Amino acid sequence: MGVAELKKAELYYHKSLQENVARIVQRSGVCQIIESEDEPDARLMEAQAQLAVCEGQEAHLRYLFRALGSHYTDPVSSIGRMLGEKPVFSLDELGELAQETDLKELASSVKTTESKLNELRIEISQLKVTAGVLSNIKDFPYPLSVLREGTQTLKGVLGTFSIAQLDVFREDLAAYSDETELFVAPQKTKDKDVWVVLLYVRAREQEILELCAKDGMTFVDLPVHISETAAGEASKISDRLVECEHEESAILQGLARTADEWMPALQGMSDYWRILRDRYHALATSAATGSTVKTCFWVPAEAVPALRKQVEAVGPAVAFIASDPTEEDHPPTLLKNNAFNRPAEVLTNLYSPPVYGQRDPTSSMAPFFFLFFGMCLGDAGYAIVIASVLWMLFRKYRKIPSGTKNFMNLFCAGAAATFLYGLVTGSFFGDFIDSFPFMAFLRPLKDALLLVDPLKDPVTILGIALLLGVVHLMFGLGVAAYDEFRRGNYADAAGGKISWILFVLGLLLVGGGSAGKLPSFLYIIGVVMAAAGTGLIFWYAGRGEKNVFLKVGLGLYALYGSTAYLGDILSYSRLLALGLGSAVIGSVINLLGKMIVGVPFIGWLLAILLILGGHVFSLAINLLGAFVHAMRLQYVEFFSKFYTGDGVNFTPLKFQTQYVEVFDEI
Amino acid sequence: MELLGLALALFGAALAGGLAGVGSAIGVGIAGESAAGVMSEDPDKFVKCLMLQALPGTQGFYGFIIVFMVMTKLNMFGTPLVVSWLQGLMVFAACMPVALACWFSAISQGKASAAAIQMISKKPDAVGKALVLPAMVETYAVLSLLTSILLLMFGVQLG
Repeated sequence: MGVAELKKAELYYHKSLQENVARIVQRSGVCQIIESEDEPDARLMEAQAQLAVCEGQEAHLRYLFRALGSHYTDPVSSIGRMLGEKPVFSLDELGELAQETDLKELASSVKTTESKLNELRIEISQLKVTAGVLSNIKDFPYPLSVLREGTQTLKGVLGTFSIAQLDVFREDLAAYSDETELFVAPQKTKDKDVWVVLLYVRAREQEILELCAKDGMTFVDLPVHISETAAGEASKISDRLVECEHEESAILQGLARTADEWMPALQGMSDYWRILRDRYHALATSAATGSTVKTCFWVPAEAVPALRKQVEAVGPAVAFIASDPTEEDHPPTLLKNNAFNRPAEVLTNLYSPPVYGQRDPTSSMAPFFFLFFGMCLGDAGYAIVIASVLWMLFRKYRKIPSGTKNFMNLFCAGAAATFLYGLVTGSFFGDFIDSFPFMAFLRPLKDALLLVDPLKDPVTILGIALLLGVVHLMFGLGVAAYDEFRRGNYADAAGGKISWILFVLGLLLVGGGSAGKLPSFLYIIGVVMAAAGTGLIFWYAGRGEKNVFLKVGLGLYALYGSTAYLGDILSYSRLLALGLGSAVIGSVINLLGKMIVGVPFIGWLLAILLILGGHVFSLAINLLGAFVHAMRLQYVEFFSKFYTGDGVNFTPLKFQTQYVEVFDEI
Repeated sequence: MELLGLALALFGAALAGGLAGVGSAIGVGIAGESAAGVMSEDPDKFVKCLMLQALPGTQGFYGFIIVFMVMTKLNMFGTPLVVSWLQGLMVFAACMPVALACWFSAISQGKASAAAIQMISKKPDAVGKALVLPAMVETYAVLSLLTSILLLMFGVQLG
C-alpha cells in the first residue's frame, strides 16, 4: 500500500490510426501523457490544426455562456453537480450534436441581439436624461425649437445658475431689458441650482452669451430633434420610453428563450470540445515522423495488461512498450491505499504528495488524524448530526465522484471517532442530557459510559493529550529511522532519529520516576536511555569534526534542539482546549435555552429555536476548528519528523467534464 | 467594600470576553476584506475564503469560555459566592492570559488569514497549506486559554 507502481509506456502507431488510438487512451483514463521533448516541428502537425479548431469552438462557447448564462436557471444545483448529478451522454451523441450545431452562427446571432439590447439601453438612459431636463422647464411656454434654430430675430439658451448667482445675473441683464426675456423655472426648496431659459435678440447673441458665461451659467444642450414645447416633448418621450421598455423586455425574453433552448446542449458541447481539446493536445505533443507517431505516457503497472489488449486490437500497426522508470525520469505519484486509509489521501494531497518511490504517509497518519479530530470536536450529538447529513447525501446522490466521496468519507470516519470520544466524555450536544428533564432516560446510559469529564477533570485529558503527542512524535521519528535504515543510512537513523527517541522517552521516565508515579526500575531504565540518547546525539553532531572542543560545542547545540520537542509536545494541549471549547459552548447554549423557556407563552418555541440555531453554529465553528487543528498536528508536528512531500499528482488524460457525464462505447 | 472581590473577578471576565472579542472582530474583518477582494474576481472561492476568514474567530470563543468558567466558579447562575478582594484579584489575574493573548493573536491571525486567502486566489490547490499557516498563530491563543483554565481551576481557591 502507498504509492502505486507506474510504468513508462511508449506507443508507436501509424498516423492513420491516431484518432482511434488516442480515443482508447483517453477512454481508459489511466494514462498521463509525457510531452515529447523533440522540436515542435517534429510533432504531430495535423493534431495541432485540430487543437486550434477545438479552441475556436471553446471560445464561442465561452462567449455564449457569458451572454446566456445570466438568463438561464440551471435545473441542477452546483452542489448537486459537485456530488455527481449530471446528465449522461455518449461521446458519439455529443459528437453528432457538435457537428450539427453551428456555434459561430449562434454566437453571432446572440451577439447581434446583445448589441441591439445595448443600443436600446443607451437610448433609454438618454431619454431619461432628456426627460429629466424637460421636467425642470415644463412651464416654459414656447416651442423649444427657439433654442436650436431660433426665429429670424430671436434665439434662446438653456442652462442653470446657482441660486446666489441668479440675482447677480438679473442685475447684469437689466442693461438689455427690452432685448431679452428670462424664464426662471419654479424652484424647490432643496435645489441649489435653478433652471433658466433666456430669450434674446439674435443680433446681440455674442455679447449676451459672454455675459451668461461670465456670471457662471452652465449651458445645457437638448438633443437635436427636440422642437415642440417642453410639455409636448415630455409626453412624446414618455411614450417612446414605454415603447423602448417593451422592446427591452421582449429582447430579454427572447434571450431567456434562447438560453432555455440552448444551454443544456451548450453544456454538453462544452464538455465535448474540452474532451477533444485534451485529446488533441495529447496528440499534438506526441513525436511524429513521416508516417509514425510516438506517444509516451505514465500508466499504473496494474492497468498495463488491459490497456495493451485494447490498443493492440486497433490494428497490426500499433506497438506498445512498457518499461520501468529510469533514474532520470520524474514519474508522478498515484496514491493507493485500503478502504480505511483512502479518505485520508485527501490530506496527504492537500499537503503535497510524496515523490514517486518514497513513503506514502497516509496510512501512518490516518488513525491519528481521526483520533485527534474526534478529541477536538468531542461530542456524540454533533457526530450523529454529521453522520446523518452525510448519510442523506450518500442516499440522494448515487454517483458521487471519487475525490468528493473520499472527502465525505473522511468526515464519516471523523464522526465515528467524535462519537466514541463524546460517549466516554459524556458530551451529547454539550450537557443536553443533564440539562433537560425529558432527556433523563438517557442519563444512566451516559453515566455508565462516562470515563472522564473534561469539565471537571481537565488535567487528566491534558495528560492524555500530551501523552498522545509523545506517541505521535515518537512514531514519526520511528518511521523516519526505519526509512533511513532501509536506505542504508545507519548513522543518520541512529544519531538523528533513534537518539531522540531514547532521549525524550528516557527523560519522561526519569520525570515520572522522580515524581514517584512510576516504579523505580523504570527510573533507572530512563536514566540509561536518556544517557544513551545524549551520547548518540553528541556523537552524531560532532562526527565530522576532529577538534574535541568543537565536537562538544556542536553536541551541546544539537541538544539545544530538544526545546523544539518540548514545543511540539505542548502543541498537543490543543486537543484538550478545543474539546473543552465544544463542550462549554454546547453547555452555554443549553443554559440559555433553559433560561429562555421561562418566557410566557412562547418560551418553549424561543428555546427550541435558540438551541437549534446555537448548536448548528457551534457545530460549524467547532467542525472547522477540529479539522484544521487535527490537520495541523499532522502537517507541522508529525510530517516534519519524516516527510517532505514535493511529489506531483498523477493526472491522467481522461474525460474531464464539468456539466455532463460522458461514456464512450467503441 | 465586600463586593470588591466580586467586582474584580467580573472585571477580569469582562476583559477576557471583551478583548478576545475585539481581537476576533478585527482579525475576521481583515481576513474578510481580503476574501471580498478575491471573490470579486472568482466568486466560486466562497467556501474556501469563508473557512479562512472564520479562523481568527475562535479567539472570541476562547474568551467566552473563560467568562463562562468564571461565572460558574463564582456560582453566578445561583447565589454568587462572597469573595475577598484578594481572591477577586486572583480571578482577575487568571483571566489575563486569554484577554491579552487572544486579543493580539486574533489580529495577527487575521493578517495571516488574509495573506492565505491571497495565496489560494493564485493557487487554489494549496488550500491545505493555506489553512495551516493561520493555525500556527492560533497555537498561542490555545495555550493562553489553557493557562487561564488551569489558573482558574487550580490557582484560585474560593469558598
